[in-house]
Amino acid sequence: MQKRTISYMVVAVFLLIGLAPVLSMLINSIVAEGRFSLGAYSSVLTSARQWNLMAHSAVLSLLVSTFATCLGVPLGLLLGKTDLPFKKTLTALFVIPLLIPPYIIAVAWVDFLGIQHLKGLWACVLVLSSAFLPIPMLLTMIFLRTINPRLEEAARLVSGWAGVLKTITLPLILPGILLGGIVVFLLTFGEFGVPNFLRYDVFAVESFTQFSAFYNFKAATASSVPLALVTLLVLLVEARFLRERTYQIRPTPDSIQSSTSIRLGKEKHFWLGMASLLAMALVIVPLLVLLLRSEGLNSYTQALERAGHSMVRSVTYAFWGATLLTIMGFFLGYIIHTKALAFWRSVDSFTIFLFALPATVIGIGLISLWNTPWTNFVYGTAAIIILGYLAKYTALTSRIMVTQFAQVPASMEEAAHISGAGWARTMFFIVAPLAKRGLLAGWIVAYIFSIRDTGISMLVYPPGHETLPVRIFTLMANGSEQLIAALCVLMIAATLVPAAILWSVPRLLAKRKVP
Amino acid sequence: MKSIELDSVSKAYGNETVLLDFSLDIEPGERVVLLGPSGCGKTTILRLVAGFIKPDSGSVSLDGQVVSRDKRILVPPQHRKLGMVFQDLALWPHLSVRGNLEFGLRAKGISKNEREAKTQKTLELVGMGGYGHRKPDELSGGQQQRVALARALVLEPKVLLMDEPLSSLDLELNRRLRKELVRLQEKLEITLLYVTHDREEASHIATRTISMEKGRISSN
Ligand SMILES: Nc1ncnc2c1ncn2[C@@H]1O[C@H](COP(=O)(O)OP(=O)(O)OP(=O)(O)O)[C@@H](O)[C@H]1O
Ligand SMILES: [Mg+2]
Repeated sequence: MQKRTISYMVVAVFLLIGLAPVLSMLINSIVAEGRFSLGAYSSVLTSARQWNLMAHSAVLSLLVSTFATCLGVPLGLLLGKTDLPFKKTLTALFVIPLLIPPYIIAVAWVDFLGIQHLKGLWACVLVLSSAFLPIPMLLTMIFLRTINPRLEEAARLVSGWAGVLKTITLPLILPGILLGGIVVFLLTFGEFGVPNFLRYDVFAVESFTQFSAFYNFKAATASSVPLALVTLLVLLVEARFLRERTYQIRPTPDSIQSSTSIRLGKEKHFWLGMASLLAMALVIVPLLVLLLRSEGLNSYTQALERAGHSMVRSVTYAFWGATLLTIMGFFLGYIIHTKALAFWRSVDSFTIFLFALPATVIGIGLISLWNTPWTNFVYGTAAIIILGYLAKYTALTSRIMVTQFAQVPASMEEAAHISGAGWARTMFFIVAPLAKRGLLAGWIVAYIFSIRDTGISMLVYPPGHETLPVRIFTLMANGSEQLIAALCVLMIAATLVPAAILWSVPRLLAKRKVP
Repeated sequence: MKSIELDSVSKAYGNETVLLDFSLDIEPGERVVLLGPSGCGKTTILRLVAGFIKPDSGSVSLDGQVVSRDKRILVPPQHRKLGMVFQDLALWPHLSVRGNLEFGLRAKGISKNEREAKTQKTLELVGMGGYGHRKPDELSGGQQQRVALARALVLEPKVLLMDEPLSSLDLELNRRLRKELVRLQEKLEITLLYVTHDREEASHIATRTISMEKGRISSN
């Protein structure tokens, strides 16, 4: 059968992209000079410094996930559950920090406050909390929409909103809140750009420096295995307690939802003020600082001169990355949604594991797999960067597609089969067009995450294939503040402009058609 | 030769048995109505005949050919040459009415001219000749109903499966459409397997009614 064959093929390709590097890294770390050896591990695990770094990582991740959750959930409630004016604009504003590499936010804050005032643990907490704040916020908003409004209405009859939120709404979205906290924890755990820049030593920086500064591949590998283990542990906890409940998110349509939004009444202005202040502090000020610091055409011409090629490359790689990620997500999402293969659940868990895995681990895995004389066509070209994107970000597109497929009745596909169409024809002419909104959303998200990727590209880029975030990161050591600020602005533009155009064009076309 | 034959078919979901040793023979040209309360397994029977699900045991035959047997689909849905009208109609919203009808003709590799001729002829047959360019969501419930029927008929199937197609319509429209359905069925000489939970509707359509009760036949 076509469907089974293609499903197996897609999964096999994905395992080659994602599983093979991780395995290759594991094997490499326990083999020294052709023999089994745990030498690399014993040197990592017996050093007090490594344990100290691990503790730093844990403290930083806990603090960031606590702050981001404590701020993100109320914000999500305010933007997703009330009649606050300018909700959409505010939501879009708050999401921006997530869309750009976190170290750019660090650059902005340092430009604003000066590095002497902004370094160490709390600086990292500030920057990363504002970068990851959108995650708990968005998850809260998404989970709010999955609540059947009737449940809240029933409770409204006997209680005010405060009571309803406490006893009905919050318990119902608790899985979403915990999921948000976990995702932020893992992303912080794997982040090395910001701690590196703000001079706080954490474990993820270690495996990166072992590799890039000392060219000690064994040590880098051995120190990324603990990162992978922590990720696995956290995800197992997540799967044990949350997976079933976060499995298929089915948002209810706007029309039904609006019937149960909280009316803020007189407090409207107070909350609008609070939200605006927060947006000002976390988003607008940093962006303005960058814009002002980059003053003048001069710094932009200089920026384009020194990093123009990187910018073109970044956009190109992100374009191909997003396209391939969308195709991969389409098929994997379909396999997961239709349970086409007996092990669909493992496929899903594995994509999520890879997403949560620190970029250094994937990067080192890719290098250890592809750095052979026969595979230079991957190792020595942009292909290795794109493979990195595919390994790390497929979970995003496949999950978006699962949610999209859940909204297409199975009878659409069955009707096509009854009309005599085989699987390929049905996928191409019926399933894909019906899922086009998911495909578009998936492409945009994949583009953004590919272009903002720093972790993987930094490790795997071959000479002459630097992407813009990598180029900025290396220029940061000696470039002038103006130049760096201008580069950051260009980076933001390269991310947001294509995404915004793609997002709005179909909407405008759709509006024009309505008489 | 029987048009549809189910031979001691059993089907369970998890540990819930839906059909147990269910047998049913339908002669060519019959209009058989499956009548029964919600959850008794009517849709399951249609889906077994269509080939969307496989029997746990027993066999399904069409025109004397075994198409499913004992946990195996021998002939997939796209090769069973059936017409089917779904409970939710399942009109493809991104295609026009004409596109909905032409999809199956295209899959069969029929030439453009012939496709257009057949589509137009079938739309006229159900009284929707002037609506080919519309999208399904620009039609009323009764019109969508007719298009779904036309889509099932355009491939000239010998067997037509219908799953409560009229249940969402008001009584007036329901009466009119079922009359037309009977007329068309007689004209085209197809076998009809029709599911409903409405006794009155059944009595107007059926040449034979099969009353079901939780996975078995309670009376013929
Ligand atoms: N995919 C499925 N998974 C699990 N159980 C199912 C599935 N499909 C049907 N069932 C169960 O099988 C039984 C029969 O379902 P079926 O859809 O055939 O009933 P029906 O007679 O068509 O009912 P209705 O008149 O409500 O459409 C029901 O109890 C239903 O819960
Ligand atoms: Mg049914």
